[in-house]
Amino acid sequence: MSAAYGGADSPPSSWPQALQNPGFAGDTGEFPTLTEADVRGTAYVGERPRDGGHPGVAGTLAYQVAEKNPEAPLFEGPYAERVVKILERYPDSQAALLPVLHMAHEIRGHLSPGTMDEVAERLGLSPAYVRGVATFYSMYNLGPVGKYLIQVCTNISCNLCGGDAVLQAFLDATGTGMGETTPDGLYTVMEVECLGACGFPTAVQINERYFENVRPEDVPAILARLR
Amino acid sequence: MAYPYRHPSEVLVLAKYFGDPEARTLRGWEERGGYQALRKALGMAPADVVNEVKASGLRGRGGAGFPTGVKWSFMPPKGDKPHFLVCNADESEPGTFKDRELIRWTPHALLEGCLIGAYAIRAEHAYIYIRGEFFEAAQILAKAIEEAYAAGYAGQNILGSGVDIDITLHLGAGAYICGEETGLLNSLEGRRGEPRVKPPFPAIAGAFRLPTAVNNVESLIAAAHIVQNGAEWYRQWGTEKSTGTKLFCVSGHVKRPGNYELPLGFNFREFIYDVCGGTPGGRPVKAVIPGGSSVPILTGDELDIGMDYEAMAAAGTMLGCGSVIVMDDTTNLVKQVRRMVDFYAHESCGQCTPCREGTAWAARILRRIENGRGLEEDLQTLLEISDNMSGKTICVLSDAAAAPITSSIQKFRDDYLALMRREPALAARSA
Repeated sequence: MSAAYGGADSPPSSWPQALQNPGFAGDTGEFPTLTEADVRGTAYVGERPRDGGHPGVAGTLAYQVAEKNPEAPLFEGPYAERVVKILERYPDSQAALLPVLHMAHEIRGHLSPGTMDEVAERLGLSPAYVRGVATFYSMYNLGPVGKYLIQVCTNISCNLCGGDAVLQAFLDATGTGMGETTPDGLYTVMEVECLGACGFPTAVQINERYFENVRPEDVPAILARLR
Repeated sequence: MAYPYRHPSEVLVLAKYFGDPEARTLRGWEERGGYQALRKALGMAPADVVNEVKASGLRGRGGAGFPTGVKWSFMPPKGDKPHFLVCNADESEPGTFKDRELIRWTPHALLEGCLIGAYAIRAEHAYIYIRGEFFEAAQILAKAIEEAYAAGYAGQNILGSGVDIDITLHLGAGAYICGEETGLLNSLEGRRGEPRVKPPFPAIAGAFRLPTAVNNVESLIAAAHIVQNGAEWYRQWGTEKSTGTKLFCVSGHVKRPGNYELPLGFNFREFIYDVCGGTPGGRPVKAVIPGGSSVPILTGDELDIGMDYEAMAAAGTMLGCGSVIVMDDTTNLVKQVRRMVDFYAHESCGQCTPCREGTAWAARILRRIENGRGLEEDLQTLLEISDNMSGKTICVLSDAAAAPITSSIQKFRDDYLALMRREPALAARSA
């Protein structure tokens, strides 16, 4: 664990020091050799190819990345190959809709009406149908968001341990309002429903990555680490 | 983020390799006895695999507790139609964080469970539907799937057995309701994740209207252990009707939050005060949610029960997915109920009027009470809304939303009344 990581995965400061969930197992003494990379599995996963790799997993790349281009073509080069691989795993093209919307989101950063229409055409679905599906799911942004989309869990388990204060700390540190993007385009801060990391409060998702055991005082270090 | 805590009371079957990064690699998994269960299953008749799991008494770990082997036995005889196994990895019940740990530490255990399940129900294709937010866990699983294909554990003619099973990993896109099995199937088919009216049940008309079994991550991994070691081995733990071990995820006000694997039937008080170390600072436990946000709340005086399906039901609540949320006496319970109901209002798919309208209406009333502007008749209104949300909709999301409302009004009425009297000490509490 690098020093620059600060306390981003450290426990709520309201808890007595000796009793805090130490976050990284490397801090506990019980698993002294575990590093952040071990926990995240980054060395094991390695670099995923843009064409999606094996067809069985081709639809599972990051939907929200820092580098995005709203003007980029959707179905060219490795992305065209990825769509073909996705389609071969389902009995019909409709079932490829979520993975292909994820891919469009990855390339362009959000789903504009025009983007949804292109996906509809590629999959042989009606534009209205695609919009009906895309608007059902909370991970598809329908408008532009910042380079870093910061989503703070405030549901019960995180809330009990100070999730509201962590959300406020992100809003204060970025100087932006809920769901708004900073003028420099760097940050959008949102509240999010349960991220499924309830034992490590507060859970925060930034783009595709989780930060756990986040305390309000960890926020500057996390933002510095992103840049 | 990782696995900081162990406890001597634990029985480590599923969680044995949490915190061991070597176990997630194919080689590491094989060195730890991985894929032996699959070899054994492929040497058995599919019906015998189903019968072994049935005999173990394993109950589905996704929340409802329906016996896994019985669910598999509902699959029709194999004809010309394809069958599907769908693994529900859409873990999103507030308080639940066990499946993500199983996947990121032992991805091959899940693949082995999926392959055995697919073989048992004679499915040619297993889809793993994982929630989109679990991107990091999904990357680990994706790598494991690539390794499994390369080693001949998945795909055509698995281990020379003549059996073909494909595995496809499918990312959800942010919707709690897709954890409901028919909502999940609609989402897998590229639709809005709206639950379907049952019957037909998935065994008859599931994914793509074809026979399908939908199983939770933990159920499938447990099934692989049962196939390898036998039903009797599994029944050495737990109670007569709640057999085996289970992962319990604990969060909120405890000294040692995290996942603990314990035999079903373990004493709930001992779990909270010994295994989890009690509350920080030793404050009194005010309330406990034993099975995720969808189950009725218990008070701190109702903990002398077993952590199993029957004992929890007898206590008027549910084991759910084993997600324990502990609240000490500093908790503003009305705020936490409001937060849960806000969640259900946000996640209601909108198909059924009692749920779409009821969850949002109840959330508004709860927020008004939280802000010190409640009226005593609000409690009656909340109970009536809850009654109208229970048992009257396609799925149980609105029943789930009603559970914390009715149980908190019943057991913590004074908290509501104190806010109505605007008692500053309570209203000022942040959590």
